[in-house]
Amino acid sequence: MTPAEVNETYHAFTVLQEISPTNSGTLDGTTISVKDNILVKDVETTACSRILKGYKPAFDATAVSRLRAAGATIVGKTSMDAFGFGSWNLNPGLDYPIPKNPRFPGKVPGGSSGGAAIAAATLPNHVALAESTGGSIETPACCCGVIGYCPAYGAVSRHGLISYADSLDKIGIMAQAVDQLIPVLNVITGPDSMDGTTLQEPIKLSAPEKLRVGVIKEGMHDVAQEVQEAVQASIKKLGNSCEIVDISLPITMKYGVAAYYLISTSEASTNLARFCGLRYGQHGNPKHKGFNEYFSSIRSEHFNTETKRRILLGTYARMAGYRDAYYVKAQAVRKAIRKEYTEALEKVDVLVSPTLPIVAPDIEEATKLTPAQTYAMDRLTVGPNMAGLPHASIPVSKQPISILATAQTDGALLAFLKKIEAQ
Amino acid sequence: MFTTDIVIGLEVHAELATKTKLFSSCPRIGSEQPNTRVDPVTLGHPGSRPVLNAKALEYGIKLCLALECNIAPSLVFSRKSYFYPDMSKNFQITQYEEPLGSAGNVPITGKKIALKRIHLEEDPAALSYPGSMHSSQYVLIDYNRAGNPLLEIVTEPVITSPAEAREFLNQLILVLQYLGIFDETCVIKADANVSLKENDYTRVEIKNISGFKELERALNYEITRQRTYLKRNLPIKQETRGWDETSKTTKSLRTKESEDDYGYIYEPDIPVVAIKEETVQKLKANLPELAHQKAARYTREFSIDPIDAQVMASDKDLAALFETVLKNVDPKLAARWLRRELLRVLNYNKKTITSMEITPEHLIPLFQLVEKKSISDNTAQELMEKLMESPFDVTAYVKEHNLAQVNDENEILKAVKEAIDKNHQAVDDFHNGEQKALQYLVGQVMRLTKGKANPQQTQRLLKEQLSP
Repeated sequence: MTPAEVNETYHAFTVLQEISPTNSGTLDGTTISVKDNILVKDVETTACSRILKGYKPAFDATAVSRLRAAGATIVGKTSMDAFGFGSWNLNPGLDYPIPKNPRFPGKVPGGSSGGAAIAAATLPNHVALAESTGGSIETPACCCGVIGYCPAYGAVSRHGLISYADSLDKIGIMAQAVDQLIPVLNVITGPDSMDGTTLQEPIKLSAPEKLRVGVIKEGMHDVAQEVQEAVQASIKKLGNSCEIVDISLPITMKYGVAAYYLISTSEASTNLARFCGLRYGQHGNPKHKGFNEYFSSIRSEHFNTETKRRILLGTYARMAGYRDAYYVKAQAVRKAIRKEYTEALEKVDVLVSPTLPIVAPDIEEATKLTPAQTYAMDRLTVGPNMAGLPHASIPVSKQPISILATAQTDGALLAFLKKIEAQ
Repeated sequence: MFTTDIVIGLEVHAELATKTKLFSSCPRIGSEQPNTRVDPVTLGHPGSRPVLNAKALEYGIKLCLALECNIAPSLVFSRKSYFYPDMSKNFQITQYEEPLGSAGNVPITGKKIALKRIHLEEDPAALSYPGSMHSSQYVLIDYNRAGNPLLEIVTEPVITSPAEAREFLNQLILVLQYLGIFDETCVIKADANVSLKENDYTRVEIKNISGFKELERALNYEITRQRTYLKRNLPIKQETRGWDETSKTTKSLRTKESEDDYGYIYEPDIPVVAIKEETVQKLKANLPELAHQKAARYTREFSIDPIDAQVMASDKDLAALFETVLKNVDPKLAARWLRRELLRVLNYNKKTITSMEITPEHLIPLFQLVEKKSISDNTAQELMEKLMESPFDVTAYVKEHNLAQVNDENEILKAVKEAIDKNHQAVDDFHNGEQKALQYLVGQVMRLTKGKANPQQTQRLLKEQLSP
């Protein structure tokens, strides 16, 4: 299929536009789609929100310019939940169509990088550039039956990424095969003076001979039976090639979702404050009664419901009187989660669990969930995201069920993925 | 807790003299056309993010060291959220939880003004209301200034008079000048908290005061206003007022019942980093000698009069000139001539030490001639004035124009005797007790010697000749 056909059928793109590479290199012949929250110079970039309709960036994101310099061709911007707020891609911005799952018709494409997952699942020789804050790469990868790879926090420069939560956002990729990942990772990772949080050391691609695999105990409880069975089967198939142990991550599994949503929405509520009808993006009614009325009305008009919900939640969590109990407390919990992962990854090389606690839901089912129920679906993905560790989702079934693997190094993670892929 | 009649606390903002803004490589100075010194970070474009200007941090640490502050172990930035068009992100990146420096002091005459904190933050944009704030139909926003690096310096409420506040700000500015970290073309801005004992120390905040002169004026006005209100039994509430430079009054801005809720979070784009001890020690070792240290040293090492020492140390360029000159000239003489004569002639000609063409190479020979009494003080003054107009070789000039002072006792005695001879009336007046007559006779000796007689010797010899 061509990008245009994919878009016609599945509404995966916000903008279809081919952008040539700036040079020839290791990615000659590879096509890339770019999640709509990653800037491509002069191409409308809106983070799939109506408030940025018509906005054309003045610069390429670092990841994009590196890809173009390595010979990759960009084919367009992909659909997402507005600003990254969503787990099913059912919340694109107002006026944007809901994309369709190409592998499992009727099911949600997954979010927030739904469009990217669709592109990865349908286009040949294609790697989709995506982004994860709490699970936005792995969840849609799981729903669409592709591999979703999220490098460590700081491995890929966020210069040119429209922020959701700066302490959590990570640029990553989706593809059909593990072998497609390494060439792209080599291009997009690396320090960048435009982003003070980038890691200075290159990613480590070496892996131990025999992998020690830790199965997260709590991750296998309270999940749908088919999910549990598929994941167990896959782990069993690893046989003697890996050492398998049980690992418990009680704090992560019990408090991860709460801490994640408090921290991410607190940061997001500040990141989205800039969208107020001034300087760029949508402008409002010139006959307004003053600044407060002006910016309030434009935000009310153009933000979708989930965006408003998260801004309100995040603002509340950091206001005087609540800040200590929510924002500050969540930081402490996050510290404890990091510690749990560090200690666990001293004992094993890779931690595993299912990506989603249920089989990817139908659109109808997903729509019936309350926000809190939807948030709870992230309980298996928030851990590695909060810990900032490299992690990936890879299919283990003919159904939309995947394993989520987390490691200390990219090398160990990739080695594990290859084993699962070979099954 | 408070005991004095007046209690003042100050919050001062100084713009750092870096090449680029605090969080991006956008130039800090240059074009003054509105909205031309901007970049995506300045305008808060989506996808842009702050990266810390290392020089600004270095300057901040230097100030903290110079003012004896405790330096924070790590650098922590925060987002202070509020919706206002002068903040392109609708939050300001500042330091809330842990300021760069805490405690510390600024020495003024007789006391040290204790500081609460010093921290880094970015400047908002400039707003301008065509006409006036109240009558204007719209406001114009210029983001050139947005993102400029500021150091905020907060005092404890220990200032007890407007004059003290003025001196504090002056001394702070001196320190900033000596450290070379401060953009002197940018006016220092201050907010002041003023409270009076008679009013149970109810705090009134005054915002937007530019410079130390306006600061003293604003404080004097506000204190008078409060006292007047009290006399008339009018209430003084805790509120924020703005200083209006045009009308020279404070005007109510808003009543503050509680602290504004800024919903602070840590700034995640700027990772918390340790401020290394070695970095601090290196900066400490390279700190220049500050004004108050110089003044003390001049007095201690060279027995310079404390006021003269303070005046010279207060001007970085004058102090540098003094320190060069005193390698070749008696320090006390150099101090006297620089502090009084040079400054006098500079002021008269509306020049500064940096703009004048006179160099130590001109001044040293001049002062040496004075020191050796080769020329009289009067001659030296005239030469200084001439130098200011356009410099020349002093030694050659003195020789060429025969300006050398006459120190030869015999020569002066000749002139003294002649003066006495030719001015009987004056001599009689002197013997009748009129001291002025002596000065008249000195003048006559000067006339006879074409102004070259050594005045001290002349006086002595006259007195000897006139005594019975």
